Amino acid sequence: MRSAWCLSVLLLLAMACAPAPAHTKLTPPGKPGASAVPHALVVDFRDGTPSEEVAERARRWGLPLRLNSVEGVRSGIAIAEGVDDVDGALARVRGDADVEEAEPLVQFEALDFTPNDPDFPKQWNLRMIHMPEAWEQSRGKGVVVAVIDTGIAYEDHDDYVQVPDLAGARFVGGYDFVHDTDHPNDDNGHGTHVAGTIAQRTNNGVGVAGVAFEARLMPLKVLDRSGIGTSADIADAIRWAVDHGAKVLNLSLGGPGYSAVMERAVAYARSKGAVVVCAAGNAGTGQVSYPAAYAGAVAVGAVGPDGQLAPYSSWGDALDLVAPGGNTKLGPGNGILQATIDRTDYRKPVLAEYQGTSMATPHVSGVAALLFAAGAKSPDAVEKALFEGAESQGGWTPRTGHGRLDALGALQALGKTSPPVDFAPLIWSAALLVLLLLSLKVKTRPGYLNVLLNPATLLPLLLSTVGLWFLKYLWQRFVGHPPAAAEVLSLPIPDWERILFGRGRLASPLMYSALVPGIGALVAMKWKAIRPVVAGLSLGFAGFLLYAAWAKAPGIAYLPFTFLARPWLVLNGLLSAVFCRAMLRRESRP
Amino acid sequence: MKVRGTVEFRDVEMGVWVLVGDDGRTYQLAGGRSSLLKEGQRVEIDGDVDDGAVSTAMVGPVLRVRSYKVV
Repeated sequence: MRSAWCLSVLLLLAMACAPAPAHTKLTPPGKPGASAVPHALVVDFRDGTPSEEVAERARRWGLPLRLNSVEGVRSGIAIAEGVDDVDGALARVRGDADVEEAEPLVQFEALDFTPNDPDFPKQWNLRMIHMPEAWEQSRGKGVVVAVIDTGIAYEDHDDYVQVPDLAGARFVGGYDFVHDTDHPNDDNGHGTHVAGTIAQRTNNGVGVAGVAFEARLMPLKVLDRSGIGTSADIADAIRWAVDHGAKVLNLSLGGPGYSAVMERAVAYARSKGAVVVCAAGNAGTGQVSYPAAYAGAVAVGAVGPDGQLAPYSSWGDALDLVAPGGNTKLGPGNGILQATIDRTDYRKPVLAEYQGTSMATPHVSGVAALLFAAGAKSPDAVEKALFEGAESQGGWTPRTGHGRLDALGALQALGKTSPPVDFAPLIWSAALLVLLLLSLKVKTRPGYLNVLLNPATLLPLLLSTVGLWFLKYLWQRFVGHPPAAAEVLSLPIPDWERILFGRGRLASPLMYSALVPGIGALVAMKWKAIRPVVAGLSLGFAGFLLYAAWAKAPGIAYLPFTFLARPWLVLNGLLSAVFCRAMLRRESRP
Repeated sequence: MKVRGTVEFRDVEMGVWVLVGDDGRTYQLAGGRSSLLKEGQRVEIDGDVDDGAVSTAMVGPVLRVRSYKVV
């Protein structure tokens, strides 16, 4: 018995010592990425305080105060930087009758992932499509992307070399259709550059980053050393790729000639569930080249860092999207930078800046891989998310298609942005169960496993702590878009109100309380059969509410003071625990 | 076929030599001696347009050069 007590105390201690969770169900804890700006403070004067008054105070306090923005004239918000003693200054400022609020200046950063690759700061193209934010949600894990091109410098073989920044990137077996070998190495530099944009080894402290760096690359060589190939080889490669598991096909190539053979290959890929992404062409005319112009292909045009259509980029009826392809007419640094091999010596790795719709295309392929990894089930779903998530001035146009690629927008359009499930409330419930059972007499104690192995108890326990989160995923995996009922069941019960009222920042005090377990307990007084159910439900609520209180989340609506939220959660959590204890005891009586 | 035009270098993709034809079309040059490839050179090319060719440059049809003369 003593060992069980020790166990539960240890469990609770372990949880108390654990680092605060990175996220909570409804509100991010505190202010994500917030940090104080050194030697700076912000003063909020009464609204309408004239700027002369502010200047006069600044002289009197000896602070370099200035209105924060043009809005400062109305809002009265002023900041001072370069203040040696911020605390002392705040003490002086706070005594003034015209000052509503004064505090240290805080800077906010969005939640994002900034890789440590030394040349990442030069990759304006990745920031333009919001990769740092999108990487928080998906990195294309496991999705196979075929690069149908001049090959990839992916291995040291004969006199071919691996580009150092590709060391550790994931590859699956490919094929060289030009030389008919199993070693589709790059002797041109184009394919390696394109592959790098898709899945360059990222956050490895070397070179540059890629869009879907947890995806797997399939090198397929169809273009010779001069970058030219035949429609027959390309059609073969398209079929080979999908037959060997590729979900995304990148074709940064094209020509003006229509080929029924290639068109049928594109349709085949599409029917097998793969997305075919193609370059719109570099003729700068109103005619998209083939294969981009075939039905079933995603045709990608290019924009420069200014967001304008690049002068070389082809456009027209078949155009679907634009993505960063560079515009070197704007000067150095305005192309797309990637690791590849030298175009005059394929044994020499280089970092090279190129421009073209070929450079724009792999951005879209990479984001398509992110979407597949995030749960998209079909090429239709991927295309829909790509188009809906694109930044546009409204609607499709022949020069911009559906708009400019946006990785974050596409992931949000896919509707899969919810944070990963955390099991913390379930663990809290389990620890509580140990404590509750220990507080019962030995004779009336049903036993830990007996409680947890009873489906009547376990199911409501799961529902009220973490929800049947797997239901939604299983549905999407095997059936399709989940119905509303599956969405509801995949959330913990206290969050079910979100289905009715949307995802607010504040939780309802009715659902985030012991009300539901209380009603259950009342019913169970008469109807003993449901006691195991109410026990699981109450235990789940207790764990959920106490965890929410511990994680400082969320805010509760309608409470007069925000500081009451935690006492409210603790009180209701304990109340739920009491209900659970009562249910456990009565259930076990003969 | 014979095409007259001006040889130009275009900085797209890996860089590509083209013939801006007097017929209004832009051809991607393939083959031919390196003396052909001079910026602004006026030439008459004897060669074949490869309709089945697909390339990284995507600037126009691929013209496989048999011979050329400066004009």
